[in-house]
Amino acid sequence: MSPDAEREHANFERFARGEPIAVEVGEIERELGALWKRASSAGDTHAGAAVSRAALWNLVIPARGAGALAKTKALVDEIAQGVPVRAITLCLDDPSDVGAGAGGDGLVATIESNVVSQPGGARVVYSEEITLRGPVAAETHFGALVRALQIPGVPTAALWTDATMPSALLTHELLPVTDRLIVDTGSCVRPPHLFDLQRLAAHAHPLPVADLGWLRLGSLRLLFAGLFDPPVGGAPLHRATRLTVRHRPGGDLSALLLVAWLGQMLGWRPLRSAQTSDGGLRFDFARGDGAAGGIEAFLLPSDGACDATGVLAIELADRGRDEYIVCRTAIDQASVQLPIAPAKAVKLDASSDAELCVAALGPRGRDPLFAKCLAYAGGLWALEPQTTGSRR
Amino acid sequence: MKTLSEESLLLPNPLREGLVEERIPEPAAMVIFGASGDLTRRKLLPALYSLTRDRLLPARFAVLGFGRQVLSDEAFREEMRHGCEEFARRRPVDPALWAAFARNVFYQQGAYDDPAAFRRLKVRLEEIEHTLGLPGNRVFYLSTPPSTFAPVIRSLGHANLAPKPAPGQPFSRVIIEKPFGIDLQTARALNTEVHDILDEQQIYRIDHYLGKETVQNLLVFRFANGIFEPLWNNHFVDHVQITGAETVGVEARGGYFEQAGSMRDMVQNHLLQVLSLAAMEPPVAFEADAVRDEKLKVLKALRFIPVSDFEQQVVRAQYAAGSIGGKTVPGYLSEPDVSPRSTTETFVALKLFIDSWRWAGVPFYLRSGKRMPKRVTEIAIQFKEAPHLLFGKRGETIRPNVLSIRIQPDEGIALNFGSKLPGPAMEIAPVSMEFRYGSSFGVEPPEAYERLLLDCLLGDGTLFTRADEVEASWSWVSRIHQRWAEQVAAGRTTLDSYPAGSWGPDAADRMLAADGRAWRLP
Repeated sequence: MSPDAEREHANFERFARGEPIAVEVGEIERELGALWKRASSAGDTHAGAAVSRAALWNLVIPARGAGALAKTKALVDEIAQGVPVRAITLCLDDPSDVGAGAGGDGLVATIESNVVSQPGGARVVYSEEITLRGPVAAETHFGALVRALQIPGVPTAALWTDATMPSALLTHELLPVTDRLIVDTGSCVRPPHLFDLQRLAAHAHPLPVADLGWLRLGSLRLLFAGLFDPPVGGAPLHRATRLTVRHRPGGDLSALLLVAWLGQMLGWRPLRSAQTSDGGLRFDFARGDGAAGGIEAFLLPSDGACDATGVLAIELADRGRDEYIVCRTAIDQASVQLPIAPAKAVKLDASSDAELCVAALGPRGRDPLFAKCLAYAGGLWALEPQTTGSRR
Repeated sequence: MKTLSEESLLLPNPLREGLVEERIPEPAAMVIFGASGDLTRRKLLPALYSLTRDRLLPARFAVLGFGRQVLSDEAFREEMRHGCEEFARRRPVDPALWAAFARNVFYQQGAYDDPAAFRRLKVRLEEIEHTLGLPGNRVFYLSTPPSTFAPVIRSLGHANLAPKPAPGQPFSRVIIEKPFGIDLQTARALNTEVHDILDEQQIYRIDHYLGKETVQNLLVFRFANGIFEPLWNNHFVDHVQITGAETVGVEARGGYFEQAGSMRDMVQNHLLQVLSLAAMEPPVAFEADAVRDEKLKVLKALRFIPVSDFEQQVVRAQYAAGSIGGKTVPGYLSEPDVSPRSTTETFVALKLFIDSWRWAGVPFYLRSGKRMPKRVTEIAIQFKEAPHLLFGKRGETIRPNVLSIRIQPDEGIALNFGSKLPGPAMEIAPVSMEFRYGSSFGVEPPEAYERLLLDCLLGDGTLFTRADEVEASWSWVSRIHQRWAEQVAAGRTTLDSYPAGSWGPDAADRMLAADGRAWRLP
């Protein structure tokens, strides 16, 4: 076997195993094409299963540093199990990285396949992953590379969750070729990051913006909404006087989004905010229909087992002091409490980030309510606190 | 616990608006008649469990099984758990989730024609609803022998368990399994009886084929894409083949099948429903009645097969002993509960026409059989050849374009067309462009029963069959049964035979060969 043939054979073996293969940046498509061709001709004789090359999305994921790159690659591997994508990871080296990439223009590229196991032991090589890595200056090449590597006729999503990446990459290079922007309020460590996301969402308009944090809250919102299905009905919501969202320290943005959701859906008009003596926040609302009596909402830091949402409980009390509560009892369990029925334990969805990404690429990623709630939450946060001291 | 004020019942839930997460039905109880039967264990409870696992059922939801067998709640739950472990799409069963789900699963013993049993059922149901805070929304699933449909519905009416719909009141819906009648007369009679108690909008006649993802995709494929519908007519389509093949024989259902045959078991419902979706005009909206109106027009446009052409357009046969999957299997007449002199068909092939502008002159070939070489259901649209053939004059390599829609298994769509073989010669080879759910979306589609149970809970009847559709299909099918009966009476039974493991009798091949066509090998 000639050295070229040996190299091709070794590359194919690595490709079939889903391992990365270093390629010239300008040869990515050609190399991928050759590997797929070989995979499809080998499929019947070697793997015992037909080989499908599938992609429903181009998924562009910027990340900075070796640690973030490793996490991103693991995430892409998992996403590929749920939806076939051509993943294009754009990684800028972090100064602290050892052995950062080098090449003609400082960019290195690898290609690999994501293999989905099929029942019965047969396997189908499924979708592909391209990684481009380079020094900070390489950022200028990313836009053109993404445009060249997008599979035509397939929509493109940008997963923008690394706040350390230069926002110009997103706004100038990626958004013009993107059909869906995916962000993560759950990774915002402080509520002011909300404004950054709002700006991005506004810039992306009219692109659908999906938020992994909002999706994480989905099962809690569904559960809470279910409390007001018949026979209870919506009356207690219209009579609400007090809303409390208990959250773990650091989960205040999720809690704020939940308050914003209820405020948006029930037409509450924000009046003022204040810090509470126990380190929480209080918001006062007027009823949207002008009816007498306001609503006070509290965001209270608390302790307890919790998932990535950071939310422990949602409690609503009405004028009759009836309480409607969804309260987390374990990471994936909650208790549902209603005045008309005994408390009931239910299982909460505990989706991984990859599962949330898959959801964000589906119909749940086009939620017009999210943009409204995000704007409403931004408005709440912008209210000047009535007490001394700044919560910012 | 508090009781409810009337004010509460009048106000809708504003938090449901704008939720894109899922379509979640209102809290409800589902009563399954025939709960100790096979369908409940293999399909219904596994479907409900998978829906729960996917968070598509409301948190407040109860299942009450009703059957003749004496069972405790615990024994019923245990049996259903085994069913879910074996048959649920979402496996393995999550112990914590099952525990929460099973707490709201109950069982009540009773006979289907015993008024006292229905009074006890009502009391039990109200207790469950009160305890779980359910609003009184109810779905009754009739997974019972067809002879019990009318008595059960009468008993529901007498016990006031399924009141007619009224604004602001909880809903009561009834799902009725097939077969809905055994001919036009019995279907009409059953519709009349059912309508005495229930409004049509409360009735969900289930045909699980319509819950299959590919069947629904047929509508999307046709009406959401601009390129196919212009070709979907007699100008471009040469003919259509619809195949519903099973590898199984009659199994333990010999008694039932003797009365039914393939025509009643498969053609009258599944295949004619699939045909009507494939051939219908675009509905004005994707709404239950709009879709069903168009399906009905197709069924009403089916040309009755004239006596003079009957032998050329209808073939029926029985399987003889043969081999399936490397195992020898007996012939139909040797199956348990089958008369050795039976004339019941286990295979039927039909050539039919739809008298409409769109389909004038286009034959539709339908075949359905048991003990075929493989289990497959598909629609194949074969297009006309190019008007002037430039290529392939030296060989037979040009095949007609075929669009095949695979309903089960391996749901998907394939388009065959000719392509030039690489090389200096102008050789043409058939190639296939395939879409498969499993490889394109990375997930297997949900079970048909999941979709249909959810649709019923949501009040969406689009994928269920309306009374007039049932009667229209029986009206067409009953004429064929009538002709067969006349042949038997005249001592001229035309019943072919085919070896198990084959694609049917020679007569079915001859039917197409006479038109210069051949059955596809799906």
